[in-house]
Amino acid sequence: MKTIERYAVPIFLVVMALLPHLLDSRWQAVAITFLIFSVVALSQDIILGKSGMFNMGQALFFGMGAYITAILNSQFGWPLLATIPLAILVPALFGILLAGPIVHLRGDYLLVVTIGFNIVFVQVVQNNLGGVTGGPNGIFGLDALSLFGRQLTSQVSVYYFAFAVLLLTLWIMRNLEKSKAGRALHYLREDQLAAESIGINTRIYKIFAFGLGAGIAGLAGTVYATQYAAVSPEAFEFIQSVLFFSIVLVGGSSVPGILIGVFVMFVLPEIFREFATWRFFIFGFAMILAMILRPRGIWPATFGKIPKFLIKETNHGA
Amino acid sequence: MDIFLQQLANGLTIGSMFALVALGYTMVYGVMRLINFAHGDMVAASAFVGLTIYTQVMGQATSLVAVIVIFLLSALVMAVVGVILERLAYRPLREAPRLSAVVSALGASLVIQNGIMLIWGPRMRIFPELVPQVYWDLGGVVISLIQVIILVLSLVLMVALYLFVEKTRMGAAIRASSIDQDAARLMGINVNNVIALIFIIGSSLGAVGGLFIGLYYRGITFNMGWQYGLYAFIAAILGGIGNIPGAMLGGMLLGLFNAFIAGYVSSTWADAFTFILLILILIVRPTGILGERVAEKV
Repeated sequence: MKTIERYAVPIFLVVMALLPHLLDSRWQAVAITFLIFSVVALSQDIILGKSGMFNMGQALFFGMGAYITAILNSQFGWPLLATIPLAILVPALFGILLAGPIVHLRGDYLLVVTIGFNIVFVQVVQNNLGGVTGGPNGIFGLDALSLFGRQLTSQVSVYYFAFAVLLLTLWIMRNLEKSKAGRALHYLREDQLAAESIGINTRIYKIFAFGLGAGIAGLAGTVYATQYAAVSPEAFEFIQSVLFFSIVLVGGSSVPGILIGVFVMFVLPEIFREFATWRFFIFGFAMILAMILRPRGIWPATFGKIPKFLIKETNHGA
Repeated sequence: MDIFLQQLANGLTIGSMFALVALGYTMVYGVMRLINFAHGDMVAASAFVGLTIYTQVMGQATSLVAVIVIFLLSALVMAVVGVILERLAYRPLREAPRLSAVVSALGASLVIQNGIMLIWGPRMRIFPELVPQVYWDLGGVVISLIQVIILVLSLVLMVALYLFVEKTRMGAAIRASSIDQDAARLMGINVNNVIALIFIIGSSLGAVGGLFIGLYYRGITFNMGWQYGLYAFIAAILGGIGNIPGAMLGGMLLGLFNAFIAGYVSSTWADAFTFILLILILIVRPTGILGERVAEKV
């Protein structure tokens, strides 16, 4: 594990940093998609994997960030990068407000309620509430990226924007794991009652996880709106949430597992385009098979420096 | 008043379809503590299986006997699919972490939904007109023969299921398994058989629900299962999940709620209102209307 961390991580980062110069524009777009969806899947991991809350509405926060960027840019003429603070804060605030009354719910109920939030969100933007969301067509024709008054129209600059967001996300997750909050989330996921009995305010930390996950997903939404210069309701349907949910669990809630999951779910279909109609049929079987063979995911996350023989095979999340 | 009565009739029709589908969710959840996400897609598959039986096996006949055969055959096919599904996707994960089974259920849902698409194509198909278009005008309220059939047949099936679960030995085994699987096993109940039985009953009731959806709405699409499945699952939660009469009540109430929203507000907001209702119910009374207050197992 140590050697992997020492060699694989720098190699991955260097390859990702050089990648846009090795690809043509179509594959650059695929790579950007990979980066964006990785960030969303990692933000989902904070809520689902790290904290053990059955959240199946992550596309809501992703979409909210994208819509905020799109509305501020198209209606009010804000530069795309200037929308970032609101695209993080508003979803985070919504995450906190929505989570407040529901985090105490048992797993499956939480799952259905978060699906519900997602569906309400899509219906709200589809019905063009307030006349700013563009209805079923969405909003299109956003500006290109600009930094200090310079237009950055090339796709490569979008790539580096997305890459920077991914690096930021990875950095946040690394720090989270080593922080007091990360330990608290880990304990409450393993055993909520025990966590409470040693003085962890589980309610606050659960809401915190929702807020953090929602904020990062919102930032990914800004990158999404930048890349496609458009947003539309169907990109944030709850079926997307289902995919992110599955990626985190099949991946095993670890960074490599999740990146592999995003790669398989969103990049492989681009390589094997002739099998496009078979895509979800095959993924369905793969999900069942992965769970039967490796119930804890293909690359299960480890926490802290606890020796392996001391870890009990628990049914966490049960 | 006319709108009220008309939506009452429509709501009871939709509600009985929700209830039939909800029973499959609630029975599986009761025993296995698993949301069977594939159930909605099984319901959709049943409508397509019915369509194929109508065109290929019955030679497009619409006599009473033909209709009965279509219903029985579809239910049989879906019962077999349900048992296979449980065997392949759920049984190996019975001892695994909870979320693994959820992902497996989602995978099964994708397989069935896209299986329908690969077999019958991605476009909307029109379900045959098995029941003659007969309408009665009761002083401004129009009721169709289809609505009457759906309502009566659903009620008959639900009463039969209720009596089966409450009055027979097999029903007692189902109830025992849903209270405590391990204790039930110690009492000599074969829990594997109980689970297979539940999938047979749930899938065939869902199959009937799927045929009703085809008869009532006529247009069937490969991905309609999620929509009806989600509504049916909400119905099961409303009534108290794991509770069989609760699913029936929840289905009826949800159907009425939907019909009144469509009648008095707007059908484009029906989903949003339904989920807001669900969220409010879960915040106020998480165990549903008929569900008992059980302490969380520690």
